[in-house]
Amino acid sequence: MVRLITHNLLACHAKDCNTNNFPLEFKDIQLEIREAEFNSDFLKGFMPKLEWKALVDTARQLGDTSLPLEQPEMVDDGFLKSLHHVLLEIHVEEGSMTCPNCKHVYPILNGIPNMLLAEHEIG
Amino acid sequence: MPLTVLEAARVIGNPSVYEDENVHAIYEEIAEHFSSTRYKPWPIIASFLSSLPCGFIGLDSGCGNGKYLPLPADRPGEVWTLGLDRSGNLLQIARAAGATGVKREVLRGDVLETCWRKGVFDYAISIATIHHLATEKRRRCAVKRLLEAVSPSHGRVLIYVWAIEQDELSKRKVFDSSSGGVAPHKGKDVVVPWVLSKEPRGKNKNESKGHEQTPPDNEEPKVYNRYYHMFAKGELRALVEEAAKELNLSITMEQNAEGRSRGLEIVQDGWERSNYYVELKLWESIKPRGF
Ligand SMILES: [Zn+2]
Repeated sequence: MVRLITHNLLACHAKDCNTNNFPLEFKDIQLEIREAEFNSDFLKGFMPKLEWKALVDTARQLGDTSLPLEQPEMVDDGFLKSLHHVLLEIHVEEGSMTCPNCKHVYPILNGIPNMLLAEHEIG
Repeated sequence: MPLTVLEAARVIGNPSVYEDENVHAIYEEIAEHFSSTRYKPWPIIASFLSSLPCGFIGLDSGCGNGKYLPLPADRPGEVWTLGLDRSGNLLQIARAAGATGVKREVLRGDVLETCWRKGVFDYAISIATIHHLATEKRRRCAVKRLLEAVSPSHGRVLIYVWAIEQDELSKRKVFDSSSGGVAPHKGKDVVVPWVLSKEPRGKNKNESKGHEQTPPDNEEPKVYNRYYHMFAKGELRALVEEAAKELNLSITMEQNAEGRSRGLEIVQDGWERSNYYVELKLWESIKPRGF
């Protein structure tokens, strides 16, 4: 599966694709929600590494509107619970991810995203 | 137990094609059996993962069956490791690693490529992977990718590779003495047989241990010869230093003209149970000039 914690890290790496190559766009996806154990310290430690806009936009595409457009400066428990759900409990099981720049398609097969490129696509 | 003397490998043609045939294709075939023999974490890797603070995220580049993805086992949910491997069959096993019912997150990808935002990880580990790359340049490239994957200000990296100097308990020996001495910093290219018996699996779980050498009789086993570059003493450290140089990372503290400096510290390097390892920590500092 791909959760949004992973999706927020991934960028296209096809040959000569260096700008506007993030975030990848989900297409034709199947979602599953699975509960994960809540850990506020993990979330607080991870937050500085997030690209907030990409996270919020992608969550909204997947139908979750619980996160604010601007990353809040003060975090409370309600916010952390929403963040926990979006990052760690939404699983994209099947579908694909498309690069917004070069349109390369990375398929998600049997729950595993395939980021391999063909020989001629490697930069 | 008979001692296996490993034969020399001759890497010919395109190294990427060579690795496809002599590494990747084999792991797809032997994935299930291989995984059943790889379950015990090595102590230095386990203690490295235990030392990570809560909130750290990392990459396991060449995660195989995912045995390091659930660690540290006593602090679930505090750190999170994303697994990367080329073998789809090993990744299917890795997804269920840890047997706690928690699904591990993995990517199918190549250790020589970068399909993430650079510097986004807090740590990266590469265990028993870089020795499958067939040229020095490709091994150096893999180290560079690890150094680029982690934060320039605090990223931590741990690399493990097979050593020419094998443990006394090891069932392997590199060549015979007639092949001459090993030059310093120069490893050896060898093929390591993996013997896959055709016996139905699951009959006896304990039988899987001895399969890296001689099979029981009358079984028509299939032998897969995997390519390895076995590292010489000092070679891994030299490889890291070369990679750091190419990325303009200093190994000692020094600043460039803008008063900005980036580098890495070699926290430890050594030999453990037939492997060489090196642990690194990246650092970055911006200091005012003219004082
Ligand atoms: Zn692209």
